[in-house]
Formats: sequence, C-alpha cells, structure tokens
Amino acid sequence: MLQQIFELWRWQDLLASWPRFATAFLNTLEIAVLALLLSLFLGVIFGLMSTSHNPLLRIIARVYVEFFQNTPLAIQVFFVYYALPYAGIVLHQIPIGILCVGIYTGAYMSEVVRAGIGSIPKGQFEAAASQGFTYIQTMLLIILPQTVKIILPPLVNQMVNLIKNTSIVAMIAGTDLMYRANAWATNGYMSYGPSYLVCGVLYFAICFPLSTWARNYEERLKRRDSQASMELDKVEEVVA
Amino acid sequence: MKKLFALLMSLTLLLALAGCGGDQPSNTPNQGGAPNASASSITPAAITERGVLRVGVKTDVPGFGLQNIADNTYSGIEIDLSYKIAEQLGVDKVEFTPVTAATRGQLLDSGDIDMVAATFTINEERKQSWNFTTPYYTDAVSLLVKNDSGIENFEDLTDIVVGVATGSTSKAALIAAAAEAGVTLDEDKNFAEYASYPEIKAALDAGRVQAFSVDGSILAGYLDNTNHIVESIRFSPQDYGLASKKDATEWAEYLDGLITGWLADGTMAQIVADNGVVASYTE
Repeated sequence: MLQQIFELWRWQDLLASWPRFATAFLNTLEIAVLALLLSLFLGVIFGLMSTSHNPLLRIIARVYVEFFQNTPLAIQVFFVYYALPYAGIVLHQIPIGILCVGIYTGAYMSEVVRAGIGSIPKGQFEAAASQGFTYIQTMLLIILPQTVKIILPPLVNQMVNLIKNTSIVAMIAGTDLMYRANAWATNGYMSYGPSYLVCGVLYFAICFPLSTWARNYEERLKRRDSQASMELDKVEEVVA
Repeated sequence: MKKLFALLMSLTLLLALAGCGGDQPSNTPNQGGAPNASASSITPAAITERGVLRVGVKTDVPGFGLQNIADNTYSGIEIDLSYKIAEQLGVDKVEFTPVTAATRGQLLDSGDIDMVAATFTINEERKQSWNFTTPYYTDAVSLLVKNDSGIENFEDLTDIVVGVATGSTSKAALIAAAAEAGVTLDEDKNFAEYASYPEIKAALDAGRVQAFSVDGSILAGYLDNTNHIVESIRFSPQDYGLASKKDATEWAEYLDGLITGWLADGTMAQIVADNGVVASYTE
C-alpha cells in the first residue's frame, strides 16, 4: 500500500479517471445531504413523540427506535435491495441509501432529541403553560431552542456517523464513493493505495467541516449565554 | 512470539528432513521437493502395480469436481476422466484428494498425488513447473440469465446491467469481447460489482442485474430451473489440462495420449455431455 502511494504513474492514472471519482463523490454527497435532512426530520418528530403524554405515540416512537437501533444497517439495506423487489418495490441504490441511512440514523437522533428535551427543567414547561402556550408552541418556541445547544454535540456525532455510514451502499453496487474507490482499486492496475487514500480524504473533506462548524456554533451559543447572564447580573446590580 | 514460532518451524522442518533422509538416502532435500526416487516411481506401470490411482480434484465445482458430503462420493467430468484413466491402467481403485488452487501444485511436487484434474488452467508459466496434457475442456467466461430475459447476443447487453465479482477479470473481458462484436458497453452503466458470487446470484434473482458473468464452470453451480447459460456469448477461453509432475515424463506422455485419443473419438465430448456441462469452447 505504502509503496503504491509513492508511485507517481498510479496517481496520473487516477487523475485520468477523476471524473468517475467526482460523480461518485457527488452521489455520496447527495445520499448524505438528503439522508441527513430525513434523519433530522424523523429525529425531531419521534423525539417529540417519545416525550409526549400520549402513550400510543410513545409506543410508536419506542418501536421505531428499538427496531432500527437493534438491527444492523447492512441487513436493512440488503432487505430493501434484495427482498423488496419480490414485493414489486424496486428502489435504486441512491434512494435506498437515502432512505435506509436516513431512517436508521433518525432512530439515534430521536434518542438524542428525547434526552435533550428531558434535560430541560420542568419549570420551563410549567411557565409556558401558565402563559397559555399550546403544546406545539411550547415545544417550538420554548423547549427546542433550549435543547439545541445541549444536543448539538451528540447530534453532530450522529451526522458524521451518517455520512460515513452512506458507504454501506457500496455493498449493493451503490455507485457511491466507496464503491467507486473499491472498483477502481480492484480493476486495471490494482492501484488500491491511491484509490483508498483519495476515498478517505474525500470522506474527511465532508465530515471535518461539519464537525468543526458544529463545535464553533456550540461555542458561540455558550458564549452568548454567558454574555446574557453577565448582562443580567449587571442589571441586577444596578437595580440593587 | 514470532521468534518462538520461527524456532518451532525450523525445528519441525529439521525433523522432517531428518526423517526423510533416514528412510530414503536418495531423497536429498536440496532438490526442492522433487526427489528423483519418487519421480521415477510415478510411471503408468508403477501405478498399475500399486493398484491405486491418486488424483487431486476439486470438491466444489459442479459438473467438474463435486463432493457429495452425504456419502462422500465425487462426481463430475474430472471424476469420470479419472475412472477412465484408471480403467486404462488396469487399476480398480481411485483415491481422490481434495485440492484447491493453492495446494494442487505442491501436492504434485511432493508425490502425494499422481495427477491433478481440478479445473487447472494451462498457461506458459505453469508449464515451466508441471506437465500438462492437451486440454480436455476449454472453459470460457459466459453469462447466466433468467429464462425470460431474451438475452442472446452482445447487442442485447447494451441496456442491461451485468453483475460481476469485485476484482474479477470478467468485466474487462466482456467489454473487450463486446467491442469486437461492435457493441460498446459502459464500464459504469452496464456493470455492477459485488463482493461474492452468491450476492450476484441474489441480485440476478431479485432482478437487480439481468446477467451474471464469470467462468462457465463457476456459473454451472448457480444453474436452476429459472435461468440458463447464454451459449452464444462465450469469451476469454481457458484451457483445462491434466497436470502431472514435471519429471514424470513417461506418465505425462501416457496421459496426453489418452486425452488426445478420447478427444478424437468423441469419448471426451460424451463425458462432458453426461455431466450436463456446456460443450467445450471452440473458436
């Protein structure tokens, strides 16, 4: 592997097939972005459901979370790819990637959201209720904005995991980055060294900015909070 | 740990060599596993005298060499061929040894088996190490398709997806063979790569791919009543020959004589047909 990485001609060969890596990268990006949106949506919905007072909603959320958290993503993908066609449902690899990875990660995100809501002091709910807020209003205007900075770190962990998990579609000939890198590494000159290295670098290029942004955003939120409380202290001092 | 292992290995080797030397003084170890004494012992006459023909065969290739686990019997072209050779030698016992691509050459060299009949592809490099007979069967890469697919020629492949194994040469070979027939196949659009053969079969059954491409002898293992091998699309031929030890020239000539005779009088074609394998590839 190391030896291959230092052989210039292999890199030139890879550069020549760069368009194929680029399309694969775009496919991975497409799966990742859409799966991310889907998982966030599912995460918030099921997270809210599992904290609701309606037992039926709580049970539905529980079943969803337990089912998807306790079965391997690979089995879910294989099932959709190999078994659903027998039921007349033929999805292509990219939609399969978006759906499977999105729904799977959605289960984890809903747990993150549930824990986040649970960490908000009960007084906040009571205060909102005393001001005549409905349940939805309480959640959207009071509770969820406060949970954001609490759940941001675990949520971003899940997002980064999601991006890396999109590589599962390589197992079903998914035309994504991992599949293309693998195909390129095992055909022709077998230049697996450069191929896997480039593949790793490209995944890093998507994940790293995301986790960096999240860390900065979290810092900013915390700073804003401490600033607010400092100003509050000043106001209190003046009043006193 | 590594050192201990190396020490143990060298001790074992030393003991093994000492053992050989004790039994057979002519077995000098520096001849790289090709001692004269046993080499000269593999002759048609010697095998007849011994009363047992020892053959290295595949255990997992339907139609060629397949072991039936239930009663420990073997079946296939290469098995029938072995019995036929034994018959010619006047030997009524054939001892089959399971071999893999990695072990067959070594077992020949060590003198544990008399010949290898195990989908052993003949090529120039291998001819330097072993004697090969005239090919008794020429395999070719082919396509396994669903019975209702209507795939018959290269033109039919332009709109379909062909499943191949990751890292196999089937993809490049099929693109080249199609190009020769004036059909352009796209390396991305027309192919899907899977990690294993069973996955490709599952993809074919689920309609994910419309054809499964690999060597005909491997495809035969995935035949069932819903699919068939496209006999009009065969490419990148590989010759299978019986292999024997390099210095047992008399034995090699004897085997080659038998095979050429059986190829000429139609016996070989009959054996192939009896095992339900598609006829040997011809240009």
